[in-house]
Amino acid sequence: MLFSSIPFLYYFLPVTAVLYFVLLGMPSASMDLKNGWLLAASLFFYAWGEPRHVLLMTASILLGYLSGIWMEAVISRAGKDTGGSKARDRQAKWTLVLCILMQLGLLVYFKYADFFIRNLNGLTGSSLPLLRLKLPIGVSFYTFQMLSYLADVYRGEVPAQRSLIRLALYISMFPQLIAGPIVRYSEMAGQLENRTHSLDDFAWGIRRFVLGLSKKVLFANVLGELCEAFKTSGDKAVLFYWIYAAALALHIYFDFSGYSDMAIGLGRIFGFRFPENFDYPYIAGSITGFWRRWHISLGVWFRDYVYIPLGGSRAGRLKGIINILTVWMLTGFWHGAAWNFILWGLFFAVLLILEKTGLLKYPGKGRLLSHVYVIAAVMISFVIFDAADLKEAAACLAGMFGVGELPAVSMECIYYLKSYRVVLLAAAVGATPLCSRLTERMRRSAVGERLLNLLEPAVLAALLLLSTAYLVDGSFNPFLYFRF
Amino acid sequence: MTAGRGRAAACVLAAFFLGLSLLAWLKEADRESESERRRLEQFPELSAEAAVSGEFMEAFENYALDQFPWRDAFRSLKAFFVFYVYGQKDNHGIYVEDGYAARMEYPLREEAVCRAAERFSHVCRTYMEDTEVSLYFCVIPDKNCFLAGQGGHLSMDYDAFYQLIREKTGYMQFIDITRLLAPEDYYKTDIHWRQERLVGVAREIAAGMGVRLEAEYEARTLDRPFYGVYYGQSALPLQAERLQYLTNRLLEQCTVYDFQNGKWMAVYDMEKAYGRDPYEMFLSGPLPLLRIENPAAPADKELILFRDSFGSSLAPLLAEGYASVTLVDIRYIHPDLLGRYLQFHDQDVLFLYSVPVLNQGEAMK
Repeated sequence: MLFSSIPFLYYFLPVTAVLYFVLLGMPSASMDLKNGWLLAASLFFYAWGEPRHVLLMTASILLGYLSGIWMEAVISRAGKDTGGSKARDRQAKWTLVLCILMQLGLLVYFKYADFFIRNLNGLTGSSLPLLRLKLPIGVSFYTFQMLSYLADVYRGEVPAQRSLIRLALYISMFPQLIAGPIVRYSEMAGQLENRTHSLDDFAWGIRRFVLGLSKKVLFANVLGELCEAFKTSGDKAVLFYWIYAAALALHIYFDFSGYSDMAIGLGRIFGFRFPENFDYPYIAGSITGFWRRWHISLGVWFRDYVYIPLGGSRAGRLKGIINILTVWMLTGFWHGAAWNFILWGLFFAVLLILEKTGLLKYPGKGRLLSHVYVIAAVMISFVIFDAADLKEAAACLAGMFGVGELPAVSMECIYYLKSYRVVLLAAAVGATPLCSRLTERMRRSAVGERLLNLLEPAVLAALLLLSTAYLVDGSFNPFLYFRF
Repeated sequence: MTAGRGRAAACVLAAFFLGLSLLAWLKEADRESESERRRLEQFPELSAEAAVSGEFMEAFENYALDQFPWRDAFRSLKAFFVFYVYGQKDNHGIYVEDGYAARMEYPLREEAVCRAAERFSHVCRTYMEDTEVSLYFCVIPDKNCFLAGQGGHLSMDYDAFYQLIREKTGYMQFIDITRLLAPEDYYKTDIHWRQERLVGVAREIAAGMGVRLEAEYEARTLDRPFYGVYYGQSALPLQAERLQYLTNRLLEQCTVYDFQNGKWMAVYDMEKAYGRDPYEMFLSGPLPLLRIENPAAPADKELILFRDSFGSSLAPLLAEGYASVTLVDIRYIHPDLLGRYLQFHDQDVLFLYSVPVLNQGEAMK
């Protein structure tokens, strides 16, 4: 079920929320009962889109639950039996590796099996049949959350969760189940046991949700139409390639950050505080800065669970570079089982290494130039990201730089530029903190504050109605990050 | 955000969510959409099989969209936003220029056009070799042909289109009617042309086939508003039009035989005139095989007209010159079956097709 869909907005969410708040109003209802209701709703939410794969997710949860308890027991027993920290560490490490392999096994089987088979066939000339499995929605996200749980238990940061309901809710909670943010278990453990609710949290959450919905429906979907129009066009031109690259960069941003806003807002409505996932990434002056602002929860996950355990940058310059390349290759591979995703990750790795080693100083000298550098690099990266394969990525990049006999402009390109100019401009402005800064400034004066008091409810209501109108019209509405 | 403002906004938003949600849950399902002229999805049957396969969910999502409260108003709101706030030039490929709603016929789909031409050629090879039929071909331009240039909308390369289709149908005599048509000859809210403005076109086509038409007609107006297919698709509050049809004593005497249903009927179906799509009053809408018989014909001359829906409103105006006009729509009947119903000998055979249908030639059987 998509957040930006009529069944979610006007059937699932009101029923789930109303019953949750009824439980909240009952003094006799325990937190486990509330969690149980949210878990039931979450499983229904997942089963709606993936009736068969809900069993796979349940299996993953059960496996993780037992793994956590087992690992804790091994750590504790190893400590008692040997009395030596090295042996205990070794035993615990192997237990963790085994548990992680079991979780990753599911992910690899469903997401990467065909990639490996295809490449093996290509390398050896064999003709192993492809499995052609349907990718379970959200499998990359919930697997990473489970890995986070297991790692946190291993590190002793949190005790293994004895309540299956709480662990299952952590993994399957519908606000962030499908496309994150990837929430670390250690951040959630306390909230699963005890969390507070307030009208202000509810107000903040619903406002954030509606803003995210509007970003998704009024920007991302409309820009997605432009990207689709480009892809199906038989009248391409250099300018059209750049329009596509710009529209794509904005489309991906609004699609994913819109989803994150909705997830964070929904979480807050039900009393959870999820970490922020985006912080106006397009205003960054470097790629390092960009990745501190883009899909923050994934970056933090890779930093905490891959980069630092590998030794990070402290293991020497060469090892540090290898670690960056490894992490970014994995980041790319996490996004999709294809070479263009790996190339996408490595593209960023190279830029990050160049920035880290000081070799790429020039763009940082001028503020405008540094923004141009970031935006151009990100546009190019997303063209690689969005391509079906490396060949298509190369063709698209060639088109952007006028390789071949492409005209500079075409009739279709001009038409779409005229037709989407307002959306492109509005989206470009919306991707900066300009609106939020304006609101802040207005708030400082009494008149501005009064005006905001009147305007905000009206604007939010208008955005909700407008988003609903787009959805009712059955417009273009896929979620990009559902692929992952 | 101050607490007060936040709470006010939350109350407003919660009221919208809950209000619309309640209405969505409680609203009785509508059977069909008048503006879009289609049946609306009903609540799907729930079974274990449908739930496991995901069919139920898919059908429910369609149901929820189709039955949403004030659906048409929401669609209009979206269309307004698209055109007047975002300044987009079309909504679902439909635009409005000078009050005329038109669909962008773009791009030229050469394969589809060739497919249509191949089907015509198949018909001719199968039935008309070694006969004395006279073959004619005529293309009906769509509104986009006249309007796209004015507002800078996308339109196919019409020159390339005509060149391609004429090249592929070179064995037929081409009758050009483009210069006789202008946007005013089409409904503002519909894809079709207006019959009351087609007398000159009919005469030109007939003249191209060596037949002289001189009849005068009386224009009658339906006493109900006409909202064409683009009205629903654009979701804009376009003004209703009046649908007129031409009649005279001759047409009143003509009878029409519907081969599919084996029944006789009148040229104008007044029941359909008050039905879902009033344009279907012309020869009862989409039917595969019809024959108009003209008892007052001066000679035994016959016309076989291969056509799409545009032909329904034109064919009655050609009836004056023929003892019978047989209308064939090979989108609804496979050409290989025609031999069961028709014999080709020395008739005039006219292939009369609109640009949109030729550009979607896959629809031809």
